[in-house]
Amino acid sequence: MIKLYLLLFYEFLKIGIFALGGGYAALPFLYYLQTKYDWYTIEELTNMIAVSNITPGPIGINMATYTGYTTAGIIGSIISTIAIVLAPFFITITIIKLFNKFKSCEYVSALFLGLRPASCALLASIGLKLLYETIIYTNEEWSMPFQIDYKSLLLFVLLIIPFSFMKKNPLMVIIAGAAGGILLNSI
Amino acid sequence: MQASLFEIFKIFFLIGTQLLGGGYVIVPLLKKYIVEERQWLTEDELVDYYAMSQCIPGIIAGNIAICSGYKARKTLGAIMAILGIITPSFFSILILAHIITGIVDYPIVKNAFWGIRVSVIVLILITIKDIWAKSVNSKFTYFMFFLILTALMILPVSPTLIIIISAILALIHYKAAGGKDD
Repeated sequence: MIKLYLLLFYEFLKIGIFALGGGYAALPFLYYLQTKYDWYTIEELTNMIAVSNITPGPIGINMATYTGYTTAGIIGSIISTIAIVLAPFFITITIIKLFNKFKSCEYVSALFLGLRPASCALLASIGLKLLYETIIYTNEEWSMPFQIDYKSLLLFVLLIIPFSFMKKNPLMVIIAGAAGGILLNSI
Repeated sequence: MQASLFEIFKIFFLIGTQLLGGGYVIVPLLKKYIVEERQWLTEDELVDYYAMSQCIPGIIAGNIAICSGYKARKTLGAIMAILGIITPSFFSILILAHIITGIVDYPIVKNAFWGIRVSVIVLILITIKDIWAKSVNSKFTYFMFFLILTALMILPVSPTLIIIISAILALIHYKAAGGKDD
């Protein structure tokens, strides 16, 4: 158990250092943790993302608390929540102490020229992988190795078309998905 | 006027309960509670801290809370601010997680979560659409995007490694282009 706590602390400390940007920046890291340790299933991860989106508080903190809880209970949630804010805490305080007024220097904007497309690509890869895993499932039988899950494909099309034209509203997207899920599965 | 540590905790706790969604949502709340009602920060400082919070590692709302708490009462203030902002998250997630574990096996809840899984994919894709224009908009950024996406689709590369490599590539590009982006 102690080993799991230490590992959890180490992984979330790393997320705190390397996840740059808002809301979803921690997501690629949590997805990677899933493939590396199997602390939770992909279904649990998507549930956690959904719940974090509609719970008060910064999404990144919500996701950290939730994954910590799923992995190692209440102690796990305390560890992951503290670990994710620890490094930024010291970095932020050091920067305020050093500079009275923050000036974004040339190097920082040069860095972000590479980091922004990188976070876009990280998110895109997860979006595509989840889409693939949800809509296409693999079969043991060699004659039909792939099958399309038409129900999820239909729901995906029904959600993506209207919502990509609207202002982002996570709560509505989640409610619509839940309603669609209940309706499509009871027909 | 010196802010009390308890008040810093209280205000950030309040802000935490009102935060829905990520990033910039916190700015109007900070403006109301700590610029207008309490004068811990000036409006210019808030703008500065927001810009800075986006460029340093960590969750933006957390970073900006740390800055504001530090401004009000130095390191202790920063500790109070970050504790205040994570406390509502922490308890609401624990309660929800507990409830969900209890009901997740009911068929109707299972079906709802089946649909929510598709919602999450849609949310991720919409987020990409929203950040696309300011992230991928030049030869170099297109190159970076497709290079990294291809790598990720073929190999399970750790995001940490991706971030380090992109930072290095960005600096090489900066040196090679002499500070210009083409």
